[in-house]
Amino acid sequence: MVRMFKYAIDLVTRRKLRTMLTSLGITIAVMLMTFILFGMTDLQRAILTQFSSVFKPTDLYVSAQEVMGLGASQSAPTKDTQEQKEEIIINDEIKTEIEKIDGVVDVHPMFVLTGFEVYLEGDDVAYPSPLIQATDIPGDDEMFGSFIGDEVVLEDTGIFVSNFVPSYFEISSEEILGKKIILKRSPTNSFVSVSNRNGIDKEYEFIVQGVVDTSGESFWINTSRALDILSQTGGFENRDEYIELVGYSQLLVSTQEDKTSEVEEYMTKELGVNVISTKTIVDFVSTLTSGLTIALIVFGSISALVASIGIINTMVMSIYEQTKEIGIIKAIGASNRQVLVIFLIQAGLIGFIGGVVGLAVSFGLMQLADPFLVDLLQEQGFTAIEKFFHFQSVNAIYITLGSILVGILAGIYPSMKAARLDPVKALRYE
Amino acid sequence: MAYIEVKDLKRKYIMSKDVSVDALRGISFNIDKGEFLSVVGSSGSGKSTLLNILGGLDWEYTGDVIVDGKNIKEYDHNFYRRYVVGTIFQQFHLIPSLNVEENILLPYRFSKRRGENVNERLEYILRMVGLEDRRKHLPKELSGGQAQRVAIGRALIDSPKIVLADEPTGNLDSKTGESIITLLEKLNKEEEVTIILVTHDQKVAKKTERIITLVDGKNV
Repeated sequence: MVRMFKYAIDLVTRRKLRTMLTSLGITIAVMLMTFILFGMTDLQRAILTQFSSVFKPTDLYVSAQEVMGLGASQSAPTKDTQEQKEEIIINDEIKTEIEKIDGVVDVHPMFVLTGFEVYLEGDDVAYPSPLIQATDIPGDDEMFGSFIGDEVVLEDTGIFVSNFVPSYFEISSEEILGKKIILKRSPTNSFVSVSNRNGIDKEYEFIVQGVVDTSGESFWINTSRALDILSQTGGFENRDEYIELVGYSQLLVSTQEDKTSEVEEYMTKELGVNVISTKTIVDFVSTLTSGLTIALIVFGSISALVASIGIINTMVMSIYEQTKEIGIIKAIGASNRQVLVIFLIQAGLIGFIGGVVGLAVSFGLMQLADPFLVDLLQEQGFTAIEKFFHFQSVNAIYITLGSILVGILAGIYPSMKAARLDPVKALRYE
Repeated sequence: MAYIEVKDLKRKYIMSKDVSVDALRGISFNIDKGEFLSVVGSSGSGKSTLLNILGGLDWEYTGDVIVDGKNIKEYDHNFYRRYVVGTIFQQFHLIPSLNVEENILLPYRFSKRRGENVNERLEYILRMVGLEDRRKHLPKELSGGQAQRVAIGRALIDSPKIVLADEPTGNLDSKTGESIITLLEKLNKEEEVTIILVTHDQKVAKKTERIITLVDGKNV
C-alpha cells in the first residue's frame, strides 16, 4: 500500500498545474464550508457571550405574553391555558406572589414604552426606532455592561441612554451627559403601549443622567415616571388603574443560584405567566443558528458537488493521458485492484490538497478579517466580543476528511474505468 | 518434457457482427528451459498476438499454453505477469518521470515481495545492463539503446523464468541493436532465462538458437 501511495503521489506531482486547478474547486468549496461552520459557531458564541454579559443565569423575565416563541412553556398551548394567559395581568398581586416564592431574591418591575419619538435638545432629527424601557436597576448593575455618569439611581427626570445614542447624535458620551431628552407621542404611531383610551398628547423632558452599555434598548427611565407617562398618555384615571388593568410589561426576577429552575417551573405552572430564562434564550439561539447552519451547509454542499464534477472530469481526462502508463503497469503485473487503488488515492490526494489549501486560505482570511468583524460587532452593540473567529480543530479535521471523501467519491468512476482498461489496447493507445 | 508447450493455439478477433479476423489458426510448438529462440513473420502473421498470449495480457484464446507443467490459465493472471514472465517492448515504455533506478524497480511497487535483497538485485541488474553511471537519469536523458537496457532491467527485476522481447531492436540502429541482442544472449546464459524474441529482422533472428516462423497465423 505504501508503494502504491508513493506511486499515486508521483502521479499527482507529475501534473502540478492540473492537480492545482482540480483542487481549486475543492478549495473554494472548503472555504465556503469553513466560513459556514466556523462562522456560524462563532456567531452563536458571539451572541451567547454578549447575552451572558447582559443577562445573569439566575435572572428570569416574567411577562403575560409569549415573546417571539421564547415562552418558557414548551408544551403546545391548549384552549384553557390560552384563555388563562389572556386574562393574566402582571400586577402588584402577581408581583407579591412571586416575591413570596422560595428562592426569589428580588423582583424588579419593568415597562416598555412604544409609540414615542425621542429628540435631543437642539436637534430636530428624531432618534430612529427608539426602544424605551423602564426599570429601577442602578446604572452600575451587571445588567449594564458599563456606566458613564455620576448618579447610578435614576431620578424621575433622569434618563440613561445607550452608548450608541451619542454616536448617532455625533457627540461624545461625556458631552451628552446633562443634556435634555424630549419624549413625544408619535403622530404616525398613536397606539401607546398596550392600552390607549382617550390618550393625551404631551411632551416629557428628561436629563441624561448616564450612558450605559446595552445591546438592545436605547433609553432607560425609572418605573415611577414610566407609570406616570403610560397612565397619562393611555387616558387612565391614575397609576393604580393602569397597573390593575394593564399591568407591568415585565418583571425581572432574581433568584438564588440553585433555585432558578424551581422558581421558573413554579411561576409557569402555578401562576400561568410566561417566563424567559437564560436557558430558554440559549436554547433558542442554538436552535436558530443550528437551523441556519444546516441550511447553509446544504448550499455549501452544492459547491462541493460542483467541485466533485470537476474532479471526475479531470480524472477521466487524466486516464486518457495515462492510458499507456496504465497498460505498462498492468503488463508488468499491476492488478486491476492496484490500479483502482492508485487512482482512488490520487483522487483522495487531490481532495486533500484542496481541503488543506482551502483551510489555510480561510484561516488566513479569518485572521485578517477578525479585527474588522469585532469592530463591526462592537459598533452594533456586541460589546463583550473580543475575538470573533476561533480555531476549532475538530471542525478542521471534519472539513479535511470531508474533502478527501469528496475526492474519493468523485474518483470512483474514473478509477474503475482505469482499472478495467485492457492492457493490450492501452499499450497501443497513442 | 518441454518447459513451454503451446498446443493448437487459436485467437479470433471479432471486429463487428460480420467481420472477424483469425490472428492465430492453431499454433503448436515446444520450448525447452533456457532456450533462446525467435519468432519471425511478416506484419499480420500473428507474432504480437502470440506474444500477448504468452505474456499473460490476452486470455481470450483457445488451445493450451503449458509453462513448467502448468496451464497458464491456472495461474493468477497478475502473478503470472509479475513473476513468471518479463516483457520488453519495442517502444521501451518507460515512465518519463521516473529515473533509471525507479523505472527498473517499477514492478516491485506492485509486488508483494518484501525486503528480498532488492537493492542487491538492482545493483546486479544495473551492472549487467551497463547503466550504473546512469542510475539517476530520466528516460529523456538516455539514448535509445540505453532506454531499451532500462526496459530489459525492468523485465528482470522480479527474476522471471521467461523473457518476452517484442521487436527489441526495432527502434534502434543496427549497432545498438546488436549490443542489445548480445545483452540478451548474456542474460540467457547467466540468468538461465528462456528468451522468446519476436522480430521481423532475419539478421536478428539468426542470432538465436532456433527460429519459429509464422505465416498467416500458423507456424511453418
